[in-house]
Amino acid sequence: MTEPRLPAVTEPALEEIERRADEAGQDYEVQLESLNQWQLAWRKFRKHKLALIGLGILVFLIVAAIVGPILSPFVFNQIPKPDKTVYAGRPPSLAHLFGETGGLQRDVLQLVVNGARTSLIIGFTSMAIGVLIGTIVGSIAGYVGGFLDNVLMRIVDVMLSLPLLFVILVASKFFGNGNVLLIIVIFGLLSWMGIARLVRSLFLSIREREFVEAAKAVGVRDRRIIFRHILPNAVSPIVVSASLIVAGNIITEAFVSFLGFGVNPIYPTWGNVLSNALTFIPVGNWWWPFFPGLAIILTVLAVNFIGDGLRDALDPRSRV
Amino acid sequence: MTKYVIRRVIQAIPVLFGITIVVYGILLAAPGGPTAKFNNNPRVTLADREAFKRSWGLDQPIPVQYCRWLGACNPNVDDKILGILPTPAALLGPSGWPNILPQGISGSSNGILHGDFGVSVDSGEPVGPRIARAALPTFILATFALIIWIAIAILIGVYAAVKRYSLFDQIATIFAYVGYAMPTFWLGIMLIYLFSGPGLHLLPAGGMTTTRVSPPFGSNEYWVYFGQKPIAAILDIGAHLILPVFTLVVVNIAGDSRFVRASMLEALSQDYVRTAKAKGLSGRSVTFKHALRNALLPVVTNIGLEIPFLFTGAIVTETIFSWPGIGKLTIDSTNAFDYPTLMGLLLITSVLVVFANLVADVAYAFVDPRIKF
Repeated sequence: MTEPRLPAVTEPALEEIERRADEAGQDYEVQLESLNQWQLAWRKFRKHKLALIGLGILVFLIVAAIVGPILSPFVFNQIPKPDKTVYAGRPPSLAHLFGETGGLQRDVLQLVVNGARTSLIIGFTSMAIGVLIGTIVGSIAGYVGGFLDNVLMRIVDVMLSLPLLFVILVASKFFGNGNVLLIIVIFGLLSWMGIARLVRSLFLSIREREFVEAAKAVGVRDRRIIFRHILPNAVSPIVVSASLIVAGNIITEAFVSFLGFGVNPIYPTWGNVLSNALTFIPVGNWWWPFFPGLAIILTVLAVNFIGDGLRDALDPRSRV
Repeated sequence: MTKYVIRRVIQAIPVLFGITIVVYGILLAAPGGPTAKFNNNPRVTLADREAFKRSWGLDQPIPVQYCRWLGACNPNVDDKILGILPTPAALLGPSGWPNILPQGISGSSNGILHGDFGVSVDSGEPVGPRIARAALPTFILATFALIIWIAIAILIGVYAAVKRYSLFDQIATIFAYVGYAMPTFWLGIMLIYLFSGPGLHLLPAGGMTTTRVSPPFGSNEYWVYFGQKPIAAILDIGAHLILPVFTLVVVNIAGDSRFVRASMLEALSQDYVRTAKAKGLSGRSVTFKHALRNALLPVVTNIGLEIPFLFTGAIVTETIFSWPGIGKLTIDSTNAFDYPTLMGLLLITSVLVVFANLVADVAYAFVDPRIKF
């Protein structure tokens, strides 16, 4: 009979343990690294290559949005006087990396950098409003149930039957006045329904689990059950759909502002800096619409990758 | 089954009712109110505005206005309860039957339930025919786009599922990610540059017909022209269709091919597929006869739910390519604060969505025997 083999410990690791034991003296204990939920999630998130790339892109865009307008040699509110009329604008060059627009001959790079600020703010804050409303409505409907659930879900049904792009267009034109804050509120108020349905269904299933039953049996109050026992278990699907909302709202805002119904052009976004770009397409100015669109694509890809990474990282059952 | 259908229809009624309230709310919230178009007209006095309001019943309390707009109240009865609510007598039409019934019985034709969507404040013509005229170009665009994108999405999805993790699957995944992230309007602009910009004058940049050659689509002159040169007219529309259809196809394939792939993967992992393989059937037969047919069930339902959104969902594409359909009508009406038209569009689309949901649910329950009621 041979002795059962112990798990292999590599030589360097053993040496390291002995070295530490020597340093610590007799009181040496094995220090187990204890990580909280977020540290564990970050550890898993780091393994997700695409999510890291997405995070890098997003951080880069946010930094560019904050410091870009300061570093840029051009000021957004000053329209340079064209020294000679070049109707179609100039293609990308060393002086103007993204080229110049047709007509007023503005620097496209400067438009993109300035547009990032408002576009990103609108995308993320309107998502926050939508997620907040959706989570509140969904948790009330799922936890309380009964008549209230029925009423709230019929409201969600009605809102989801409306063609949202249409409603956003009309609402932005009627009530938006080109104001960034109002546009954020309109987008927020029209993006909570999916989250509400999701949260409700999560609550319906988590409500029946043993740990909630146990908490109820011990006499935990409803509010504590909702916030401490159920909601943390519902975070990961909410985060994933929140990332989809950010992406969708950035694209929709760009379109609405492109049409002139959204944000006033004195607050540049990736949509409204394009408002005349279509006129200059026939004379060959492709760089004006191209680069703001590229910025939108990069942002949306980055946000989606981060969403994917977060889904894997926040799911307690997934092992990396 | 019958019980299930009836239950679903009854469930849809409060949703439809809620939709009419939201749509009516838009009319109430419209800036400036219905007389806004007179604001800059010095010839219209305040007294004229009051007379206008009275003649259209806009001086009535909101519940009465809503009831008349819906078609449940008789517009010729002015009695009110507490000064705000319509009386029971107002619910009866001129013939003594409830006003809500068809014109032949009740004798009245007001309200959306009788198909009366009002008059456009922009062009002055009835909203119903206006929407119907814009619906034809949208229908043409949507039909071509839908057929092509479904066919391609199913091909890509099925092949990616069968050859899971292959190079093709990975390329399809990247394509779906990028396609999802790409704004439709940006794709449209870039396509216009590529195919009708200064480099290549291959395809028309916008519109539905060539202005130099043919009268505007939908006008009486157009149908005369169409009768004279049908082949040239169809080819002309075809050339104008290519870019918008391509845009819609690219954008929609991204999501749908993923959906088909997921559905197909699930079907391929089912027990009956393993049984079929164990019996020694060929791979192709298993894939297409056993797995595909079951995988397509949720796909068909999903597509059914997408169709009503095509009605307005093509807003972006139609605007970029100035296609004279529902999307362009929407933008034009929004610009002109033409809310009777906007309300009609919103109402029709929403009702289509509810109807499509209903049909999809019932059809799914009908074709999938595993669903119990």
